[in-house]
Amino acid sequence: MFFYILWNFLIGYLVIRVEGVSLEKFINLTVTNGIYLWGINRQNYTTLTAKISIKGFRKLHGLSRKVHCRIRIVDKRGLPFIIYRYRNRKMLAVGMVVFVLILYGFSSFVWSVEVQGTESISPEKLIKELEALGVKPGAFKPMLDSFTIENQIILNMPGISWASLELRGSRAILRVKESVKPPAIVDKDTPSNIVASKDGIIHDMIVLDGQAVVKEGDTVKEGQLLISGIIDHSDTIGVRYVHSMGQVIARTWYEETLELSLNEPYRQRTGRKAEIKYIGWDRLKVPYSKEAVEYADYDVEVLKDGFFITEIYYEVEEVYWKSNIKKARKKLEELAEEKVKQAVPRGAKIIDKKVKYDMIESDKLIAVIYIEALEDIGMQQTIVTQ
Amino acid sequence: MRRKRLEDMKSAVSELFELPREIMLNLPKISMIGSNQMLVENHKGVIEYTPQRIRVNSSIGVIRIQGTEMQLKNIAADDIMITGEIKTVEFI
Repeated sequence: MFFYILWNFLIGYLVIRVEGVSLEKFINLTVTNGIYLWGINRQNYTTLTAKISIKGFRKLHGLSRKVHCRIRIVDKRGLPFIIYRYRNRKMLAVGMVVFVLILYGFSSFVWSVEVQGTESISPEKLIKELEALGVKPGAFKPMLDSFTIENQIILNMPGISWASLELRGSRAILRVKESVKPPAIVDKDTPSNIVASKDGIIHDMIVLDGQAVVKEGDTVKEGQLLISGIIDHSDTIGVRYVHSMGQVIARTWYEETLELSLNEPYRQRTGRKAEIKYIGWDRLKVPYSKEAVEYADYDVEVLKDGFFITEIYYEVEEVYWKSNIKKARKKLEELAEEKVKQAVPRGAKIIDKKVKYDMIESDKLIAVIYIEALEDIGMQQTIVTQ
Repeated sequence: MRRKRLEDMKSAVSELFELPREIMLNLPKISMIGSNQMLVENHKGVIEYTPQRIRVNSSIGVIRIQGTEMQLKNIAADDIMITGEIKTVEFI
């Protein structure tokens, strides 16, 4: 039914009023002549309104005289009449064409670049690489050859084993798969010891090959022998040299000291903020929502969502650390933790954290942070034999 | 008499082969949706049309439909759709 109404709208139809005495005869006559009428409504004994197609109306003309009816057009509906009404407004038609062309034109450009599937490689790096290859906002899509770009990405970026560039609408989506590094080949023929790479207390030991020299709970120093590759057992004849393998998990400690002058000011947000919203691109932007920024000092945060740019102005005041010791402690702890974590190798598990504060003459705060971690301290050391 | 026998046979045959009777016997097919819409297929023209009363000719006689605010929603060579408040349908 909907398509029927749509079709009638597209080809256009007329609303007619028929006046006469024998209206039933008129209806029957249209039917037998193959003229299609719909929405027939009798107003009173001598008048009737109905809808008819333009084609049908032409056929009707000769017919009306036979039944002595007067036919008048009440309304013209549908697209052909609307077009006819605007026939002299050429710029309207030009505007429509320009609209379609712009829509089509803009859809053949890339407007956003996305990267999916990265694990250790940062997406920004890949976006930068794509930009160098021509895939960036504003790039003309037909000029991009995804096949060569994919190959270039794989060649230029180490650690990527597969890449696929999809241009979906105005988005360019790069899907990558990072390659898995093959495990290091263990040279079992060279005899070696495992020594401690740093001080610690042995927490757990798994010896796969070789002779354990220390045991769980032992305190070891850096460079101390943990697993020996020289096996000299009473059951065997002579001395055997092996490539010792194993995991030596030890508790290790890291320490960091930081200080903060309490007489120094810091910037603190007061909680008041003002937002200015823009629509636009880069520097070409038009504000559509504006709040007055009347702060002496402020920080600006810019959020971008497609063509919508929001600038948030936070009012800022300068406060001395002295006035808020609690906050100073927290800040110092954060800084210290960040610094100490740089020293902790990847793969180590932090199991404990302690912070000690010291105040010196009420103008300096000193924080000492201790971190206890569990990590593998084993290190290969080849045995030199004559 | 002969004609009556032919009609009976046609009826029996259409029943046996499950053929649509309205085509075999040239009968009007009337379908209604509630009391607001009525479709008369296989008609033979409109005799009278007013918003209160519609008379449609068919092979078995005149079908008289009475109601209020009735409209001929569409009309084609072999079907009529009537919309509005239908109260009675009679075969006379």
